[in-house]
Amino acid sequence: MKKWLFNPFIYVAGWQALGLGLLLMAITCVVAFFSKTHFDGVIDVHFGAGFPFLVCVFEQLNAWLFTVIVFLAASFILSKSRIRLIDIGGTLALSRTPMIFPAIAGFIPLLHQVPSIKNAAGFLLGSLLLILFTIWMVALMYNAFTVSSNLKGSKAIWGFIVSIILAEAISKIVISQLYHHFLF
Amino acid sequence: MQKKLPHICPSCSSELNVQSLICSNCETTVSGEFGLPLLARFTIEEQTFIIDFVKSSGSLKVMAQKLNLSYPSVRNILDDIIIKIENNEKSINNSK
Repeated sequence: MKKWLFNPFIYVAGWQALGLGLLLMAITCVVAFFSKTHFDGVIDVHFGAGFPFLVCVFEQLNAWLFTVIVFLAASFILSKSRIRLIDIGGTLALSRTPMIFPAIAGFIPLLHQVPSIKNAAGFLLGSLLLILFTIWMVALMYNAFTVSSNLKGSKAIWGFIVSIILAEAISKIVISQLYHHFLF
Repeated sequence: MQKKLPHICPSCSSELNVQSLICSNCETTVSGEFGLPLLARFTIEEQTFIIDFVKSSGSLKVMAQKLNLSYPSVRNILDDIIIKIENNEKSINNSK
């Protein structure tokens, strides 16, 4: 059970993971559109105003695509194994599954309010839950990276940390340009 | 009970060699110092993987189906065995 929750890539990868991952990303995208939840970066979740559906699609693709590009480059640099793009893309798509829960949580009106003393307890609980789902996603991304590139030890840990920071930075720049283009 | 062939010295962790071989039919014993073949230096699981891999004509896809694992997981097992083979070959060449 623990393996299926945190490292399903031992059993599922390639086209199978890509198909399932993209389907779950599409569901997350539709739910996020209606619950006004935004994924404005590789590991970002925010609640706010409603955006056009196309922007929600771009948010999902931006978060996934730049992780794939950066992780693929890191794998080619660090690993001696033969890396397949389909494994990186598929496992990273499936890694975004936990984000469906914050998208559902976006229907809770409290999470859209400005935090104050009145709603502090509920807001804190909601934020803690979001952090838990984000940690789950990051754990899945780490395992997707190590299984797809056959990296272990400090190489895997440092490779992942640098890659995720780089992917986050790139995705943030791109999404801000997209917001600027579509919303302003 | 299936006996495991020890190939690492429990005292100093060096590679073990064979000192004697016996014919199970006539009980003739051959003594000397023989190095273990490369395959015998792997664990039972690794030996089973190698044999299955050869039987499946070297297809990682078939192996993945057989072991109920993903393609990269099987490729990673194979890559780790390749590294082990290379290290063993190096240590054999160094000891010559």
